[in-house]
Amino acid sequence: MSPYVITILLSSLGLGTALTFMSSHWLLAWMGLEINTLAILPLMAQHHHPRAVEATTKYFLAQAAAAATILFASTINAWTTGEWNIYCLSHPAATILITMALALKVGLAPVHFWMPPVMQGLTLTTGLIMATWQKLAPFALIIQMAPFTHPLLLTTLGLLSVFIGGWGGLNQTQLRKILAYSSIAHLGWMIIVTQYKPQLTVLVLITYIIMTSATFLTFKLMATTKINTLAMSWAKVPTITAMAALALLSLGGLPPLTGFMPKWLILQELTMQGLPLTATMMTLSALLSLYFYLRLCYAMTLTISPNTNNSSAPWRLQNTQATAPLATLMIMTLLLLPLTPLAQTLTN
Amino acid sequence: MTPVYFSFTSAFTLGLTGLAFHRTHLLSALLCLEGMMLSLFIALALWMLQLESTAFSAAPILLLAFSACEAGAGLALLVATARTHGTDRLQSLNLLQC
Amino acid sequence: MTYFLDLFLLSLVVGLVGVASNPAPYFAALGLAVAGGVGCGVLVGHGGSLVGLMLFLIYLGGMLVVFAYSAALAAEPFPETWGAGSVKVYVLMYLFGVGVAVWWFWGGHGGYWVIDEFKEFFMVRGDIGGISLMYSVGGGMLVVCAWVLLLCLFVILELTRGLSRGALRAV
Repeated sequence: MSPYVITILLSSLGLGTALTFMSSHWLLAWMGLEINTLAILPLMAQHHHPRAVEATTKYFLAQAAAAATILFASTINAWTTGEWNIYCLSHPAATILITMALALKVGLAPVHFWMPPVMQGLTLTTGLIMATWQKLAPFALIIQMAPFTHPLLLTTLGLLSVFIGGWGGLNQTQLRKILAYSSIAHLGWMIIVTQYKPQLTVLVLITYIIMTSATFLTFKLMATTKINTLAMSWAKVPTITAMAALALLSLGGLPPLTGFMPKWLILQELTMQGLPLTATMMTLSALLSLYFYLRLCYAMTLTISPNTNNSSAPWRLQNTQATAPLATLMIMTLLLLPLTPLAQTLTN
Repeated sequence: MTPVYFSFTSAFTLGLTGLAFHRTHLLSALLCLEGMMLSLFIALALWMLQLESTAFSAAPILLLAFSACEAGAGLALLVATARTHGTDRLQSLNLLQC
Repeated sequence: MTYFLDLFLLSLVVGLVGVASNPAPYFAALGLAVAGGVGCGVLVGHGGSLVGLMLFLIYLGGMLVVFAYSAALAAEPFPETWGAGSVKVYVLMYLFGVGVAVWWFWGGHGGYWVIDEFKEFFMVRGDIGGISLMYSVGGGMLVVCAWVLLLCLFVILELTRGLSRGALRAV
């Protein structure tokens, strides 16, 4: 693809998200979401591989339906209350419709089915955009919507997402699908706390973006998309292999790593809100996710698969990929936990 | 529940139902999407006309521009799918099943 | 005139039933054309002649032609009409659903035909003034729209570019 076209597409991605961020009118928010969807389509279908085109088509259908539903619900609201403002959404059916449509847009649990197949059809770079940047605009709307939405709906979405994210990932051997399910589980953590403390949602979003970017960039560096090729990653970049295991555990949320911080704060918030049962279920569901992260760690660092002698040589090859972003993100993935007091101060 | 409100609501719901449940051809799905956008256009225009909201009258036109873009992208995807899969039947989009 | 407008609204819903009930794309495009045409009638009946004209010219004249063309490209030897097998069942099911909804909302009080809110044709219209507003204070939206149309051009060109780098190929 020509660099000019890439520039236009990437700047439109930015434009769409920025429009949604700054809009107070539903029509403008919808426009931002549409620009976002339109701009990523050619990036997804970049290689014109059958799987890429199929993923693009599925993504387009899901996103277009969700966007139209968002606008429809706000139209209902405008017909009954005369208000187009995002903060003036009071019609109950409209709030539920919009929340479900936004859930479809980001891929929350009962409407998550497009997400793993779509991720599977993409290259790792586009998958990275899909898992991080494309979540920002819908989440800006979800956070604004949360005070008007039925609390039970948000809790159900959150719990279902963490459980389905955990269970779905157990059966996969494809890294991109595993990362898609990990994304669904993290989205569940984000949505469960939106109604109590939206700042924590932003915190989870930020940490999730950091961690998942580090993971995607690692897999891209190793050019691997399946678990069985992970087993030979020690021969390519030994240092990254060792750190990637820790990054995966950070995604799983183990204590001395960054991923523990949002989970800790969310559990604390849920407990303070008097929801010990929800908190317990969230914690238990984290075990499900942790299982498949651990399996990736095991395949990556704890075993050496039988191999021929010359397959251990790739570390000699010169690496052409830029590693500075990966280094920064990896360090942030592993070592942000000491910033918890700061995060706590900022979110209070 | 006025007749106008009822009409565009049921038109949109029918389009969404058709998109969700009956998916033989990709083109049918795109037509359902178009039907949804059509009902939204009518809804926005009638809202503007009934409330005499002059400043809002650009909104249906902007919506039409965006839905034209969406339809264009959808038809481009139709062409791309027909090239890679050889048909526009949605059942053949089965390379990425979980 | 009341009956005309109600007939238009009813045809809009029936047209969408025709699209949603999963006939061959050939006939779905026809249903959408009917819905677009009567939608134009509804808008004109409510006093928005410019918006109605725009719907007629751009939607029916521009977009649906493309859709009908694509439908003709994807034509099957034996397309399913609304009378065929499963489609007939869906049509009846959806019509029944719409009927239940009508009964639900107007079953007890009044009827579908009584409540009425349209305006007669009149000369001074808000929509034309509003569109002139779009060119003065709404310039930002115009820029966004122009940008998205440009973006859409690139999107379509990139998506339809084949393996052989842009060669048009019989599908």
